[in-house]
Amino acid sequence: QETINLTIASSHPTVIPWVGMMKTHFMAKADELLAKTGNYKIEWNEAFGGQLYKANATLTSVEEGITDIGWVFSFLEPSKLPLSQASSYAPFATVNPPFQLEVMEDLMESNEALRHEWEQYNLKVLGLTSTDMYDIYTKTPLKGIDDVKGIKLSAPGVLGTWLRGTGANAVDGSLTSFYTDIQTGISDGVLSLALGALPAKLYEVAPYINRFDVGVAFSGAVAINKDSWDGLPEEVQTAMIEAGKYYTVAHGKDLLERHEAALNKMVELGTSQNPPVEIIKMSDEQRQAWVDKLPDIAGDWAADLEGKGLPAKAFLKAYMDGLRTKGEKPMRNWDE
Amino acid sequence: MALESDKTSASGTRNPPSSGIGRVWLVFVDALAALGTALIGVLMITICADIIARNMLGSSLPLVSELGALLLVMIVCLQLATTVRADRLARTEIFFIPFREGRPRAGALLSALFNLGGAAVIGGIASVSLSIFEKDYASGEFIGVTGIATLPTWPFRALILVGMTVTAIQFVVAMVGDLRDVIANRRST
Amino acid sequence: MSPVEIGSAAVVALLVLIYLGMPIGIGMLAVSFAGVAAIRGETVSLRMMGAVANDSLREYLFAVVPLFVLMGLLVTVSRVGKDTFDVFQKLLGRVTAGLGVATVFANAVFAAITGISIASATVFSRVAVPEMTRHGYTRKFATGVVAGSSVLGMLIPPSLLMIAYAVLAEESVGRMFLAGVGPGILIAAAFCVTIMLLARFRKDFVFEDGEDSAELGDMSIAEIARKSAPIVSLMLVVLGGLYGGFLNPTEAGAAGAFGALVIALMRRSLDRRLFWNLLVEAGQITVSVLFLILAATFFSRMLALSGVPRALAQVFLTGPIGPYGFLLVYLLLITALGCLIDSISIMLILLPIALPIANAAGFDLIWFGVLTVVTVEVGLLTPPFGLSVYVIKSAMDEPDLRVGEIFRGALPFVLAMFVSIALIVAFPPIATWLARL
Ligand code: NA
Ligand code: NA
Repeated sequence: QETINLTIASSHPTVIPWVGMMKTHFMAKADELLAKTGNYKIEWNEAFGGQLYKANATLTSVEEGITDIGWVFSFLEPSKLPLSQASSYAPFATVNPPFQLEVMEDLMESNEALRHEWEQYNLKVLGLTSTDMYDIYTKTPLKGIDDVKGIKLSAPGVLGTWLRGTGANAVDGSLTSFYTDIQTGISDGVLSLALGALPAKLYEVAPYINRFDVGVAFSGAVAINKDSWDGLPEEVQTAMIEAGKYYTVAHGKDLLERHEAALNKMVELGTSQNPPVEIIKMSDEQRQAWVDKLPDIAGDWAADLEGKGLPAKAFLKAYMDGLRTKGEKPMRNWDE
Repeated sequence: MALESDKTSASGTRNPPSSGIGRVWLVFVDALAALGTALIGVLMITICADIIARNMLGSSLPLVSELGALLLVMIVCLQLATTVRADRLARTEIFFIPFREGRPRAGALLSALFNLGGAAVIGGIASVSLSIFEKDYASGEFIGVTGIATLPTWPFRALILVGMTVTAIQFVVAMVGDLRDVIANRRST
Repeated sequence: MSPVEIGSAAVVALLVLIYLGMPIGIGMLAVSFAGVAAIRGETVSLRMMGAVANDSLREYLFAVVPLFVLMGLLVTVSRVGKDTFDVFQKLLGRVTAGLGVATVFANAVFAAITGISIASATVFSRVAVPEMTRHGYTRKFATGVVAGSSVLGMLIPPSLLMIAYAVLAEESVGRMFLAGVGPGILIAAAFCVTIMLLARFRKDFVFEDGEDSAELGDMSIAEIARKSAPIVSLMLVVLGGLYGGFLNPTEAGAAGAFGALVIALMRRSLDRRLFWNLLVEAGQITVSVLFLILAATFFSRMLALSGVPRALAQVFLTGPIGPYGFLLVYLLLITALGCLIDSISIMLILLPIALPIANAAGFDLIWFGVLTVVTVEVGLLTPPFGLSVYVIKSAMDEPDLRVGEIFRGALPFVLAMFVSIALIVAFPPIATWLARL
């Protein structure tokens, strides 16, 4: 039996579900597959939770071999991974993470531009990650999207674009700053997802969960450094690919289930606080009202990238087509 | 209250420059530090402007938090060389100070070794910073959000590169000064 | 050599280099580079060091450092610091070693406007130490009091360490903040008791001539009001901004610095040249502190790669030692690491291992977090790497002041902190009562 040393790392802690699943699903599956023949055993050196690098260096750290395997947070790499941002500029396109992950997985294989976008950074993509659904958490209840006019809403980076045309003032922030931002009045609420809002306890300061189901966004990939990859025996490579696929599927399913569970948990935890946590379900008319208010953010984004010589229009169309083929009905066809 | 003005601006140097190049170098290092120093004021004003914009106009200025983070890195890199020259990097003195007082030659040699170490690691950082700068420049790396406001990162990377390079050279200068002390002490003994 | 052996060798090498007097930041970078190079090759090591230098300080939160430093400097030149001290001296004039006690009080109040201890250490080394030495206190005691009471900065809310713990332990930031209040008051009280005991039984430790030479000047109520007005208004800007809902910590720093500038201008204690010198000074302090943090970041990443923290944890934590045995070992481990590396890095390395065990042991995680933070803060005061002590050394800029002198002065306060930790272990409600209210 040959022992292979691999470092696996992340900028975020294992309490983040898809980081934790790198251990419970990706690593476990790879170990399980390799144990069948017993030819190889991986000695994992775990460095989760920003021990080796922070969120601002997830791509370069895998690229340069600071870690062998790591979660690349594509959200924070708009200039290096421009096409991977498509879903962030196409809200209300799908609320189904497993479908979105399948579409992106297909594109990663069939779309030359997307694959090149990742592989040019000396890495090989093994598994993909997405988000759960975004909603608006506020201090005071909303009746509809018109109510956000003039209020200050925190939003992480690029998602500030989802507030364009709504009249809300987007305040830039991150999951770690939202709690104090709202508590201190820097913002009146936040555009966030249930899986982030629950551990960050955002419901304590913004107890009204206005459920718009804005949609899910592609967030990144578990990737391995190409040099490390090339040094692996074929049997290990095969096991890694299979473990990555298994991870992607399990993660998509987990997002769907965990989203509902997280919403219920927040209501449960927040029953005794004043005011108690309340979920306000928005009608499809209200959701449509929001998506209609938005300027052509996907078109602007694609035009900007086309100007830099990237086939963003074709990619956007391929992404939307992929969703529609899966039977999804986007509330706005961003590619038209 | 008298401040350490003269101490921080041009002091620290044990060997005042005699040559023209030495004087030019001194002015250059001080100019970099001055830029870093001015950035503290810029940082304060930018953030205060953001506070006012948010509380009076209702919306925050774009890029402030990302720019603030980058400005901070600038402040550190641009002033590192003068900090080294002024010998204000934290160190323990349990051994070093008595040793240098008791055995000036060996002490100067030890100091030269420390400065060599400083030149090596900071020089290493500078060499990697060059490739980071090249990559950011080539890929058009930016901060901010496409469609709202963006700013390229390469000018900041360039300043980090300059700051680290100058600091590495400053360590070499300090090492040369130490070695001169070693020689001078041999003559005197 | 195995990675663990390499990491251990790097730790030993660092200790030697620091002892010999190599600049600590350079020493950390050098051994970390060598360590990573031995584990993962030179190329990776060099890239990792470059990444640390380029990106590890790129955090908006770190911008509070120069801003609060600048605020502290402005407050100092505009005599606001001196005035505040005069007031505290008057109020506590009849207390033994009143200026020492006043420093603790002032730090406890100042803690409510800063989330990092280095700001407290900077401000009070410039405000309180000159006042105390002028009044016949030893410099060892004066700097020791400032170093000791600076820990209140990250205990009384807001606190950078509490935020870090809350994120790692999935606890509420608001609750963690409240959990720091009780222990903060306890430690402030313990410090006051320590000072009074020292003044009574170890006079030579406290006073230069064995006597308190602080004379009681007369001060009218109006005088007190006039002298406190600037600091009170500054606190209104910063505190009111933070809790009234206008500012985050970095912004509070900027507003505070700007407010201090306005006060300095109004008092005509600032010309263009002096203001520039203040900015230069703020820059130098910022650089020496943040460069240390940068280097410590690389060091903790090297340790993480080597697996040393994990190996240590395995050696110490497995085996039949029981929950309180584990707690004791954990707190000792933090204290030991506190001698070497920075606060947040310690938490980053240890908590992922310790939290599941604490959870399994059935500990209240808020209480566990407070114990963690207080013990981590002991590391600010212990040699060879005690951040608060180095900040004071940096901020004072007196060439003949040795860090060893400050470490010795801080020792009684380290002991007081251990007593406080024991009290919090014995009486958990000190930490949890307010948080669970
Ligand atoms: Na505080
Ligand atoms: Na320490």
